[in-house]
Amino acid sequence: MSYAPRPVAVVNSAQTLFKPSWADRQHVDLISEAVTGVLKGTGLRIDDVDFVIDSGSDFLDGRSISNCGFLGAMGAHHKEESRVEEDGLWALSYAMNKIASGSASVGLVVAYAKPSELDARSFWCTLLEPFTQRPVGLDHLSAAGLYAHRYLTAAGLKPKDLEVVARHAWEAAVRNPNVDLDEVPSAEPFWHERVASPLHGSDFARPVDGAVAVLLAAADVADQITTRPVRLTGHGSAIDQHFLAAREADALPACAAAARMALGTARATAFDIAEVSATSTVGELMVLEALGLAPRHKALDLYDGGGATAVNPSGGALPADPIMATGLARFHEAAARLAGRSGFAAGEARTALVHGTGGFAMQNHCVVTMEVAA
Amino acid sequence: MSIAIVGTGQTAHARRRTDVSQAGLAREAVVEALQDAGLTMDDIDSVVVASGPAMFGAVNQPEKWLVDALGARFKPVVRVTSGGGTGLAGALAAVNQIKGGAARRVLVVAYDKLSEGALQASISTLYDPFWGREFAVGIMGFSAAYWRARMDRLGHTQEAAAMVAVKNRRHALANPKAHVRKEVTVEEVLASRPLCWPIKVLDVPPISDGACAVILAADEDALAITDTPAWINGMAYYSEADNGADRSMLQSEPLQIAAARVYRDAGITNPFRQFDVAELQEPYTCFELSYYEGLGLCPAGGAADLVASGETAMGGSLPVNPSGGCMGANPIGATALIRLAEAAMQVTGKAGRHQVPGASLALVQAGGGWANLRGVAVVSSEKR
Amino acid sequence: MTTMATRIQMPYTLTPGEATGVFLAELGRRRLIGSRHGDRILVPAQDFDGSTGEPAEGFVELAPAGRLEAFTVTAQGVLGLVLVDGADVPFLHRIVGFAEADLTIGARVAAVWADEPTGSVLDLAGFGPAGDGPGFKPRIAPDGLAQPFEQVEYTMTLDYQHSYGHYYGTLFDAVRTDRRLRGVKCSQCRRTLLPPRARCDVCFAPTAEWVDVEAVGVVQACSVVHIEFIGQRLKPPYVYAELVLDGTSTRLIHMVGGIDPAEARTAVAPGSRVRAVWSDRRTGSLADIDYFELIPGEPS
Repeated sequence: MSYAPRPVAVVNSAQTLFKPSWADRQHVDLISEAVTGVLKGTGLRIDDVDFVIDSGSDFLDGRSISNCGFLGAMGAHHKEESRVEEDGLWALSYAMNKIASGSASVGLVVAYAKPSELDARSFWCTLLEPFTQRPVGLDHLSAAGLYAHRYLTAAGLKPKDLEVVARHAWEAAVRNPNVDLDEVPSAEPFWHERVASPLHGSDFARPVDGAVAVLLAAADVADQITTRPVRLTGHGSAIDQHFLAAREADALPACAAAARMALGTARATAFDIAEVSATSTVGELMVLEALGLAPRHKALDLYDGGGATAVNPSGGALPADPIMATGLARFHEAAARLAGRSGFAAGEARTALVHGTGGFAMQNHCVVTMEVAA
Repeated sequence: MSIAIVGTGQTAHARRRTDVSQAGLAREAVVEALQDAGLTMDDIDSVVVASGPAMFGAVNQPEKWLVDALGARFKPVVRVTSGGGTGLAGALAAVNQIKGGAARRVLVVAYDKLSEGALQASISTLYDPFWGREFAVGIMGFSAAYWRARMDRLGHTQEAAAMVAVKNRRHALANPKAHVRKEVTVEEVLASRPLCWPIKVLDVPPISDGACAVILAADEDALAITDTPAWINGMAYYSEADNGADRSMLQSEPLQIAAARVYRDAGITNPFRQFDVAELQEPYTCFELSYYEGLGLCPAGGAADLVASGETAMGGSLPVNPSGGCMGANPIGATALIRLAEAAMQVTGKAGRHQVPGASLALVQAGGGWANLRGVAVVSSEKR
Repeated sequence: MTTMATRIQMPYTLTPGEATGVFLAELGRRRLIGSRHGDRILVPAQDFDGSTGEPAEGFVELAPAGRLEAFTVTAQGVLGLVLVDGADVPFLHRIVGFAEADLTIGARVAAVWADEPTGSVLDLAGFGPAGDGPGFKPRIAPDGLAQPFEQVEYTMTLDYQHSYGHYYGTLFDAVRTDRRLRGVKCSQCRRTLLPPRARCDVCFAPTAEWVDVEAVGVVQACSVVHIEFIGQRLKPPYVYAELVLDGTSTRLIHMVGGIDPAEARTAVAPGSRVRAVWSDRRTGSLADIDYFELIPGEPS
């Protein structure tokens, strides 16, 4: 008897507003808002959800086994639940597997972070092996600086060339109602003050607080709920080695490996939308190249516009990086557009590629693809 | 599709391993599991890492560091966490990867190197910082408190729990991987120093460094890898909101829900009679009593009589924890996966000196958190 | 009150493993030790080559000099990737002693040693400017290697600003100012939840009305804490207690005090009636209650 995994589709997705600090909300408030939002309008109630897979970080939350305290807010009481301590796109991948396996029909994926409660540097530095990397003062900023120095040198670019990446991201985010941003930052230091040469403040992702929820279901179930069902068509992930110095100088081969796994024989450039995660402008360029959206050292050309694939119509991760939820936010942005739920008129975009990353200096990568069902 | 365990490995568990890093410790178990399966890392499609709360070890997202020691570069590697039950939660993630078509062969590796951190302080961070953290003694004060409540209501006496300590420590004598191999008597347990009364020193497992690895594959592939696959005929992991209304905790509801689901999937209607062996994760002796009832091995209030009957000791009709359970070794993040690996060893006749003769159907239980994350699995020599 | 400052600080003794342990030990003797993995040499020495997973086959001593491959200047200083002569993978470390204008890819650098070794990677203070001076070819199996460091002391400190949010904020404001506890009722099951929250965990229905909760209730479960441990907040012995206050359906975690510790096992039991003893402190937290005491004349 041959075995075919069950097709999986998106029922709905939702998020809280992303803002630098939700000082007047607790984690549970953000989580339950996202979960309430994702059920709304689907006709499904929490009792219809078979299982919950969630993403969050004990270190960011300041609690061990932090999912324990948030189960009620996730609607997970007396359900199957698992915590994936990685970006939310991996939680989505787990949920896909669980539905594809036939063991459940409706799954809720939740990812959240409140980096405003702990400084980002403390969080990122705890990811480092503690003997030779952590003590010398390596942090997420200097790691991006080292990548940038090598990338710009090899690509023959100047630091100022990266401004177009940041401008594209922040301008798109101003238009994105999911991000708390009225205008592109104009402060001189943001664009020109050196943070980790050759990078400036504008080159780094801005940590934000927020939660994202996605409701997945077996395709036959989703088809009865949604008018424009979006099918998940592929997923893959791959990790690089830990030591930053040992990784490739100006490329992300683990991202390329994840893309190969997710895409099979398809080409990234065939997708209408690409929503990708990155912790810096140079990181975003390296991701786009690793995914196959641009030749090596040529991703900057994508920002001229006119390419077949719309890159980060949401603004991507630079203006809004909810650390553990960033990839799932990319998924939400892409799925909402395909389903015609958010700005994009139905019928305009049919396929999307979503990328998430995790670990120190983008060590781990996950790629998910989807399309509007024919 | 049916999933089987095709290889297992464990470190020799110890109080403190100063010869290897956390990453090196995890690798030891992986090397043994690969050898057991006759595979190399090239044969592995995907890796699931399970470990206890990352604050135990000062390295956040430790799978990112382990990758180098596992030789897992460019493979899918993800970490699943669920406190003491994390190993079983990790195995369930692997089962879903295979059944979902994402991987053919998945390596699950679970570890903790508890000697490196401040254990009780670390576990105490489980508490809501606004709601009782200053009173926390890890999870021991909580566990002792509800044992005390079950004592009144269900007769889970100190003597009954002491019998669990005696039984499991005796079983551990025959397990070469156990790090505590010392017999105790009921009197010694009862007279031992109180830590969080009624929990006393000898009701508590050791603090261990250790790792466990399990390799999973499906159907014909499993049979191609090994002549003795251990089939997973059911596995589930359920949760309960930690401060939801009316949580008496006299019985573990998520455990009962998980057991009902898994028993249905595995065709278990009379667990006490059908199972040949059980591996239960008993971080304190009192939990083993509670699990007897939650798993339906005896009626509510029957646990003390069951342990006193000797039926759950080696030679009884349903030996529980022939490995010695947590009393033999308790590297928290690995403990649940050790239970699963031990069950697989039992049903494939590979358990050596602590083999239950002729065992073919095994029950596994594990859990974590505020007694609110609970998993159950059924492992069999027969594919269902 | 918006946020509460909380510190998690814990000590660790971390084992680096043999290769990194030898590497760290040898830095104190001003020798740079790498590991061999097939035909690759890694420095700092590693037990495993992350590119291949290959374990270390042995050690090699490298001349403490190399070439700067990349660098980044930050407010904390300069970090760079130094390809030590003979190594296959760069060494990420501090770059010291350079005028910024002299920092260039390809610059020759040499080890700058700390004056006094302290047993960390910073015994090598970093790499500074150097000429093309005579180095030496990697020495396989160097003589007299130090014993590896088995344990490295480490303290992790994490400082949080935890939000109270609307629900905890309302509760703890009332605790601080009025010595009142406030819960919320689930709109569906009508049970009172304390601490208050936006949704009932069990029903997943929104909570509706606020209710005052008197700091009087029943012990649901209790234990007597004797154990002492690093990082403990309270001095044992004390009675750990999970209470259900009258009218509520959830757990309040606190301690029962005002009793002789020697009698704690029998004096307090599940079912004992207790009430709060308020403190003089007004912190807006559970610490505003010193402890719960047994109510005389009520069942225990």
